[in-house]
Amino acid sequence: MKSLFVFVCLAALPVLAAPQQFQLNLDSVAAKASEHVEVSLNASTLQFAARFLDANNPDEAKVKKLIAGLEGIYVRHFTFKSTGAWSQADLEPVRAQLRGPEWSKIVGVVSSEEGENAEIWLRTSGNKSIGVAIVSTEPKEITVVNIAGTIDLEALAELGGHFGVPKVKPPEKGHKEE
Amino acid sequence: MLTAAVETGCDFGTLVQRHQAMVFSIALHFLRDRATAEEVAQEVFLSLHRNLHRVETPAHAAAWLRKVAVQRSIDEGRRRSRRPQVALEDVGEPAARVAPGDPLLSELLRKLVATLPEAPRMVMVLRYQEDLEPAEIAATLEMPVATVKSHLQRSLAVLRGKLARRGIGERETGWTG
Amino acid sequence: MDWLEDELRRALARQEPPEGFAERVLARSVRGASDARRWLAVAAMVVVAAGAGGAWRQHQGNEAKQEVILALKLASAPVHRIQSEVRGITQ
Repeated sequence: MKSLFVFVCLAALPVLAAPQQFQLNLDSVAAKASEHVEVSLNASTLQFAARFLDANNPDEAKVKKLIAGLEGIYVRHFTFKSTGAWSQADLEPVRAQLRGPEWSKIVGVVSSEEGENAEIWLRTSGNKSIGVAIVSTEPKEITVVNIAGTIDLEALAELGGHFGVPKVKPPEKGHKEE
Repeated sequence: MLTAAVETGCDFGTLVQRHQAMVFSIALHFLRDRATAEEVAQEVFLSLHRNLHRVETPAHAAAWLRKVAVQRSIDEGRRRSRRPQVALEDVGEPAARVAPGDPLLSELLRKLVATLPEAPRMVMVLRYQEDLEPAEIAATLEMPVATVKSHLQRSLAVLRGKLARRGIGERETGWTG
Repeated sequence: MDWLEDELRRALARQEPPEGFAERVLARSVRGASDARRWLAVAAMVVVAAGAGGAWRQHQGNEAKQEVILALKLASAPVHRIQSEVRGITQ
């Protein structure tokens, strides 16, 4: 009986309301991508996952702290085989929503040499920050993120590269070997 | 783990022996504390041990270790939340006319590098300890090449100025090169 | 070659860690693996005792955990890049 109850509870999770703060309608991007990662985690799933994060593991402890109190994390990540596969117009459905009055861009970085662009948008209600949108583009990668709730951006930045293998490509032939 | 080691030729023990000086030194030159540097270095290798199955080649392991050593050193530096203070009065000063390789000058330089802000400090360590080119430093630190070059130029200028105020400079050293 | 750069290379030359470093790392790595195996054995016993429902919940929990870690990995990369750029400009 207990295991049936657990099964039912887990099955019910996806039905709970998902407070995504903007539509991640990127079907045109997905159609052009060679790889597509989609992660949608509402508050219940985050709370559930938090119970399995090991507080004695420094990296997992940081994650546990970071997600405490969040309402949701929604990620769409696309990889393309070649440059020129996507255009700025593909991101217009998302950008149009971020131009709404409840969103304001707090920082944007452009590297025209490398064709990279990254923006962070803050969603506010009254004087309170209630969400973050991140839009990051590279010639062969697009990442769009919505984090519903209040998150420590500095702590999030510090996570970059801490899990698993960081983005380090094996050196090309001819590189000095250690 | 053993299968991964056999397939990639990356035996964990060998990787530790081969790269321990690099990993330890990045932490040491950045943090200026031997005990903390050893702790950081141990954590870096334990992290490699957990992820050994993802390492493709020995060269990949070296690049991975360097990047993780940099990240963990920076994190540890922020946890300590203050830049090391150079207590110059505690250190014997090199003579105004110093011979190349004077150990007191080396110690002074290490301490001066340790007073640089976080980003230029790590840039200097990667340049002069690891002999990395600006593009390689930029890739490791995920920063634009132009920023790396700017950090190098400014840091060298700062160091020259601080040394000159102590009467240590090219003319006084008698170097011709 | 610039004298200061020469001296910096000398000053920042690699140093060997304290004696016994490699042995300490290897000992910790083996201890970690032994601990993991021990915990795996304990976890396996708990799973068997709790029955299929408990195992399913554990599996779901681990899946959810991996999703969270993946989401934060993907989100943190651009934020880290922005932070590096901003720090590079202001320092």
